[in-house]
Amino acid sequence: MAKRSIGGIAGIWTEEHSVITAAAKTRESGFSKFDAITPYPVHGMEEACGIKRSWIPYVTFVAGLTGLLFGLWLTWWTSAVNWPINVGGKPMFSWPAFIPVIFELTVLFAALCSVAALFYVTKMPKMDPPVIDPDLTSHKFAIFVPQNDVGYDEVKIERLFKEWGAVEVKKVAEY
Amino acid sequence: MASSNHSHTELHVGKFEASPKLKNLTYVFIAIGAITFAAGLMKNQERIWASYLVSFFFFACAGLGGLFWSAIQNLVKAGWSVSVRRYAEGLTSYIPVMVVTSFILILGLKYLYPWADHDKVAESALLQSKTSYLNVGFLVVRLAVFGLGMLAFRQILVGNSLKQDKTGDESLTHKNVGYSIGFVLFFAVTFSLFSVDTLMSLLPTWYSTIFGIYCFSGMFQSFFAIIIPIAIFMKRSGFVKGYVTEDHLHDLAKFMKGFTVFWAYIAFSQFMLIWYANIPEETEYFIMRAQHGWMGISLALFIFRFVVPFLALLPKSLKRDENHLLMVSGLILVMQYVDIFWMVYPNFFEGHLTFGFWEIGIFLGFAGLFLAVLLNFFSKNSLVAIKDPRLHEASHHHVSY
Repeated sequence: MAKRSIGGIAGIWTEEHSVITAAAKTRESGFSKFDAITPYPVHGMEEACGIKRSWIPYVTFVAGLTGLLFGLWLTWWTSAVNWPINVGGKPMFSWPAFIPVIFELTVLFAALCSVAALFYVTKMPKMDPPVIDPDLTSHKFAIFVPQNDVGYDEVKIERLFKEWGAVEVKKVAEY
Repeated sequence: MASSNHSHTELHVGKFEASPKLKNLTYVFIAIGAITFAAGLMKNQERIWASYLVSFFFFACAGLGGLFWSAIQNLVKAGWSVSVRRYAEGLTSYIPVMVVTSFILILGLKYLYPWADHDKVAESALLQSKTSYLNVGFLVVRLAVFGLGMLAFRQILVGNSLKQDKTGDESLTHKNVGYSIGFVLFFAVTFSLFSVDTLMSLLPTWYSTIFGIYCFSGMFQSFFAIIIPIAIFMKRSGFVKGYVTEDHLHDLAKFMKGFTVFWAYIAFSQFMLIWYANIPEETEYFIMRAQHGWMGISLALFIFRFVVPFLALLPKSLKRDENHLLMVSGLILVMQYVDIFWMVYPNFFEGHLTFGFWEIGIFLGFAGLFLAVLLNFFSKNSLVAIKDPRLHEASHHHVSY
């Protein structure tokens, strides 16, 4: 069976500010695939880890535009081409009446595609990932370097993590 | 880089001093306004009062927007906005001028409103049936309740905030929550009536139940187009350092974008229902605004008040770009004027599009008064609510992705 998760090494910190410093130092040491795991959103973590802006907003914009054009086409084709019905003597293609439909389709496309893109980016749904430490959901912070990162060296990383104030360093096995 | 974004730059609030150039400019503006008004009263009463009404409403919105927004910040106990709240409170210093100018407006009622003109009322049974609400006496009462109420709430809300600068008393922040709730309720009712009285009743045979919200949406959108340039000005001229960052501008710009959409939503709701139902009593409003050159203005409102600002405020980087925000704010302010102009002018001059010196002169006059009270407020008071218990939240404010 294919590996579902890549093993690696994780350092555990107990202070927010020290994990941010450690994340910045991990990045400066040349690692690029590492991740920080925190119980709540930590301000400044994106910059410390060097995470670039997500491209999901562009998906939202393009999908919204697609929804808008689809709504425009749908209302025009159904009301003015395929089954024209005279309503109150108004023109067949009465755009003010169609705006709500067009608007809703814009929102629907944009929202659904954003969620789909989010699932794709985060590789969700991810079933039973390895538990590094149960306390990471309440009061501890971790930095996880996967085995396939550039210059992966368990001994060196363990030494560095300790140097940066990690209270514990754990090996996470692949499975 | 992490450190550049999070290192806390030195916090500094200087004493605001308006440059002599700016001060002279306000006097020149006020003089131009006064001369235009006096000349208009002698030469062209109908035109001058129509012009007066547009500018009066425009600047009333600026003052009220400041009060409404700062009340909301108190009400929701917002932390991030504390360092920019004082600019909004500064805008409320226009409210006393608004009250005075609203009483001057009473002198022009018979030129503006058909229901205030005895001959027109005598001719129309429809107008006669509305006189129990639309009559000069009751209007004066409503204007007085509105204006004095706003003054009282301003005295309490802004007064408490200024008092805190000196005493540092935290309980003032908590007291303002209750007053803000009262204010928002009072504002919702009286601002709707104010819009109906001053703008909708120009055409007393027409009515739209969404009209008050339409005026509110324009007021609130244009409020952000005023506070953002003020914040940028204070930041650039170095009076305030560190308290107002690009994160604050980013959030104010988000607010501005949000209410750009809100304006479009309300404007379209008003238009679509009237267009769909197609009842003569209601459609006259839009028919007047589709003829005699007004169609272009109507379309321009949709494009330059909604489409362009919406797209221009969509990308994140542009919401943090000062020059870009100044341009968008300028556009929105112009469109706020055009919007009020569009609500007022088709009722006059046989529905023909009319614009010229009379409009510009009066606008400059009001702008001069507005700038004068604003400069006075900022030179007397601290530019940041320096002892607000939530100020630390604002100075550490950081917008994440």
